[in-house]
Amino acid sequence: MDEGDSWGMLACLCTVLWHLPAVPALNRTGDLGPGPSIQKTYDLTRYLEHQLRSLAGTYLNYLGPPFNEPDFNPPRLGAETLPRATVDLEVWRSLNDKLRLTQNYEAYSHLLCYLRGLNRQAATAELRRSLAHFCTSLQGLLGSIAGVMAALGYPLPQPLPGTEPTWTPGPAHSDFLQKMDDFWLLKELQTWLWRSAKDFNRLKKKMQPPAAAVTLHLGAHGF
Amino acid sequence: MALFEVFQTTFFLALLSLRTYQSEVLAERLPLTPVSLKVSTNSARQSLHLQWTVQNLPYHQELKMVFQIQISRIETSNVIWVGNYSTTVKWNQVLHWSWESELPLECATHFVRIKSAVDDARFPEPNFWSNWSSWEEVNVQDSLGQDILFVFPKDKLVEEGANVTICYVSRNIQNNVSCYWEGQQIYGEQLDPHVSVFHLSSVPFIRKTGADMYCEVSQGNVSKGIKGIVLFVSKVLEEPKDFSCETQDFKTLHCTWDPGVDTALGWSKQPSQSYTLFESFSGEKKLCTHKNWCNWQITQDSQETYNFTLIAENYLRKRSVNILFNLTHQVYPMNPFSVNFENVNVTNAIMTWKVHSMKNNFTYLCQIEVYCEGKMMQYNVSVKVNGEYLLSELEPATEYMAQVRCADASHFWKWSQWSGQKFTTLEAAPSEAPDVWRNVNSEPGSHIVTLFWKPLSKLHANGKILFYNVVVENLDKPSRAEIHSIPAPAKSTKLTLDRHSYQIWVTANNSVGASPASVIVISADPENQEVEEERIVDTEGGFSLSWKPQPGDVVGYVVDWCDHPQYTLCDLQWKNVDPNATSTVISTDAFRPGVRYNFRIYGLSTKRIARLLEKKTGYSQELAPSDNPHVLVDKLTSHSFTLSWKYYSTESQPGFIQGYHVYLKSKARQCHPRFEKAVLSDGSECCKYKIDNPEEKALIVDNLKPKSFYEFFVTPFTSAGEGPNATFTKVTTPDEHSSMLIYILLPMFFCVLLIMIVCYLKSQWIKETCYPDIPDPYKSSILSLIKFKEKPHLTIMNVSDCIPDAIEVVSKPEGTKIQFRKSLTETDLTQPNYLYLLPTEKNYCGPGPFICFENLTYNQAASDSGSCGHVPVPLQPSPSQLGLMISPENVQKALEKNYMNSLGEISAGETSLNYVSQLASPMSGDKDSLPTNPVEPPHCSEYKRQMAVPLCLASPPPTENSSLSSITLLNPGEHYR
Repeated sequence: MDEGDSWGMLACLCTVLWHLPAVPALNRTGDLGPGPSIQKTYDLTRYLEHQLRSLAGTYLNYLGPPFNEPDFNPPRLGAETLPRATVDLEVWRSLNDKLRLTQNYEAYSHLLCYLRGLNRQAATAELRRSLAHFCTSLQGLLGSIAGVMAALGYPLPQPLPGTEPTWTPGPAHSDFLQKMDDFWLLKELQTWLWRSAKDFNRLKKKMQPPAAAVTLHLGAHGF
Repeated sequence: MALFEVFQTTFFLALLSLRTYQSEVLAERLPLTPVSLKVSTNSARQSLHLQWTVQNLPYHQELKMVFQIQISRIETSNVIWVGNYSTTVKWNQVLHWSWESELPLECATHFVRIKSAVDDARFPEPNFWSNWSSWEEVNVQDSLGQDILFVFPKDKLVEEGANVTICYVSRNIQNNVSCYWEGQQIYGEQLDPHVSVFHLSSVPFIRKTGADMYCEVSQGNVSKGIKGIVLFVSKVLEEPKDFSCETQDFKTLHCTWDPGVDTALGWSKQPSQSYTLFESFSGEKKLCTHKNWCNWQITQDSQETYNFTLIAENYLRKRSVNILFNLTHQVYPMNPFSVNFENVNVTNAIMTWKVHSMKNNFTYLCQIEVYCEGKMMQYNVSVKVNGEYLLSELEPATEYMAQVRCADASHFWKWSQWSGQKFTTLEAAPSEAPDVWRNVNSEPGSHIVTLFWKPLSKLHANGKILFYNVVVENLDKPSRAEIHSIPAPAKSTKLTLDRHSYQIWVTANNSVGASPASVIVISADPENQEVEEERIVDTEGGFSLSWKPQPGDVVGYVVDWCDHPQYTLCDLQWKNVDPNATSTVISTDAFRPGVRYNFRIYGLSTKRIARLLEKKTGYSQELAPSDNPHVLVDKLTSHSFTLSWKYYSTESQPGFIQGYHVYLKSKARQCHPRFEKAVLSDGSECCKYKIDNPEEKALIVDNLKPKSFYEFFVTPFTSAGEGPNATFTKVTTPDEHSSMLIYILLPMFFCVLLIMIVCYLKSQWIKETCYPDIPDPYKSSILSLIKFKEKPHLTIMNVSDCIPDAIEVVSKPEGTKIQFRKSLTETDLTQPNYLYLLPTEKNYCGPGPFICFENLTYNQAASDSGSCGHVPVPLQPSPSQLGLMISPENVQKALEKNYMNSLGEISAGETSLNYVSQLASPMSGDKDSLPTNPVEPPHCSEYKRQMAVPLCLASPPPTENSSLSSITLLNPGEHYR
């Protein structure tokens, strides 16, 4: 090892030490970051998925056949105002975190509003209770997503004035179409929750710090 | 007047002629044709609404007319309905008429036309119809829009049981349309290529959210969409039932009814039916907020009669029910209040209560109910404001529940609710003596009397029994009566009485006083137990006991028994029987199968002394024995053995033992005499012997074959069967000759034993006779003589004191050469420093003769070096000894000395005996035992007894010197090398 090598190593060490404060894993000062809130959001999503399974069964039975038939899969007529959860896989993969979270937030805001309309129509007290409980949970999920977005520094989407969805019972909307809307609402909710669970799981993994605190790769180049 | 009549007639004729003229004009000149016919539709109601006017109607003229209306569907020739509509028509009036279609109007084009005729009495017949108006076409389909499929009617509300027609309109006839009603595909009737119709007859109520009908349009297998309708089927509104009104205070009428089914539907299609109360006299109406009751405020005090109509209404139907009543007949009083009890004593109490004040002179009829332990007493009383009633014939110390309710005394309508309270009457002294019985156990000098009594019934206790007083009085000698107070709830007490007659009084006491006494006398004589016991059987109703009537005065009989005889506390029971009776039946739920119950029947004399008359014993149900006897086999011979089970108790069995069955199995097929063949439960055959006497507990089984194998099993039997199955016990009869062997061997054994005992007892004699002890000179009697007679210092010469000059060898066999070791110095230092006189080095223990003298006086060095003892002395060398051992000089010297002495002094191998001079230890009286602690020998003072020993057994004397000399040169481990 000649003298030049020694100088090189010293220079490298100095460089490493200089850059140490910039290594994210070492720069943590007790703040756990968005990880826990993403985990909570993910858990809440899974819980809602479970809760919806029971609620949808009860509600579709309340509507009667064909809506409670397992193979009833009508083409989507009407219910156009509902946010669609189905999206092309490639498109979905191409979305960034901010866009994903924004879409989730917007979708649940809309769905929650429609769901409250559903609650108003329910004739049985038990069904009203179940729907109210689900609405509360969904409200919680919305808050949780807002929390994650805030933790990641993303702004909450602002509703455009006049586009806020409202439930309006009207004679123009036939009862059958109303039932179809309810059917689609529950179906979309189910798909959205499934999609969100995947989104949050992906985000959770992404935000998870690596297992080892710091792995400094010191190459032997130049030594 | 006549003039007036003429004028009048002229006027009427003129008027009539005018009318006739007018009608002719109307009929001929002015045809009354409906014009301006317009048809509109109401899709929700599926109705056509027609409006028209009548042309040529005179001004301000009213005319009764009839209109005929024709309705065609799809095409004008297809008339589906014709009907007349009569009405009075005014000048310039627009007429309206509606028609409801069973088919949704969107399903087909409809055509309407109308014609009219005058239907007025003023115009004589014949009437004639006007011409038909032109057809008016009603086509709703055109306004539907551009959708590919429509289903009608939309969200219709019908009543349960209605017939409904549904249709779909498909824009494209190429499309395939499938329709489903409640999930099931249905097929309709095609009206035209675009329209199909479905008739649903008598639709049922399915659910509040309606029944769904939907059609799916598809092209090939591709679904283009679905369209559907919800048919809301309402339950039929029922007439309210049990409608009635009543008042509690003459201020409010409370009307109630049973509403029946709720006809509400979901999606706000139809709310629950509403109820309206209408009173016809006042003309007032009230919409009720509850579905089954309504309150009506009485505003006018004067109104006594009310005529109420209750109207139930939903979107489809209206139902009503009516009642007419007088207010004073519909009074439902409020509950009485402030119920109290005054002056409550042992058997009476005064009950008081209050009622709400009503109108003047209003009288209540009140009903009182008094409950006590399932019994109920009822009283009626008339009350104005405050009620009061004396409750009598009550029982002491009893809790009663009393309640009161009231109704209108004048016009009974309804009782009020009950108002009640509890009260308890006071206690009284017990009214009856307790039922007492006793059990007497006679012991030497005393009677142990156990008194039992039954708790008084509530009827007789008259309160809570606190304690029982037992007073014992000696009847034979005057003395003070003993009083025992036993606190409740004890039911017995034990008394120890001496052998005198005693009278015992027992009373039960509560807080008020004592009951009458129950008297019993214990006789001084012991109870006669020598009464024969008789067996009885339980009939279905219990044990039936009967006994002989007793001569003399008997005031009654008592039968006693134990409910649980198997336990120590057997729970003694007794039953008092009338003196005239000689039998009774004892039945109780406590009796269990397989338990022996013993009954004793006593007669009670006039002096209240009980005498045991009879004893009975029996089972409520006999069971098979629970265990088998333990059978012993004895007296086993080659031809017989005896079975015995004398310790088997027949008393403690769950049935009367009637005997025993002895089962015997053998290889022989034939049963022995007295045995009979039997088949066991496992199917195997054996021989059975029956013993009928339960006390016969042994059996000799004989006529057996020697050296044979037998199995037996003994089981008792009761009327219920045999004891439990158990394994057979095996017995093998001995050989016939084996007994003879025993006859020979036994005496021989005893003979030998006798000889051995004799030998042992005479051992001393044998010893003295056969091998007497060698006399010890020190113990010779001559010494004592010498001591007494000679000089005191005279002693026996000690050999060690002498120095022998020469040793004379008595015999020396020729040719025997003693081979000495060449040089002891050449030997290993670990070799023992014996003076070997052996023929060979190795075979030193051989039979070769040698002579060895151990004599310390003769040769000290030789003696020290180990003499001729070859048995090692197991002593550990002391350090000094070790020092000696490791000093080569000492070793060398010793060896040289030994060697020289041996060469010079000993001529070995010349004698066959080895004489060993031993220093007798003064401690050792026994020549065979070695001293445990070697003591220093008295220096050259004694001779030890000499004896011949084989070389190999010769051991060195345990003198200190000799052992020392041995040890100093011996390594113990190599001693035998």
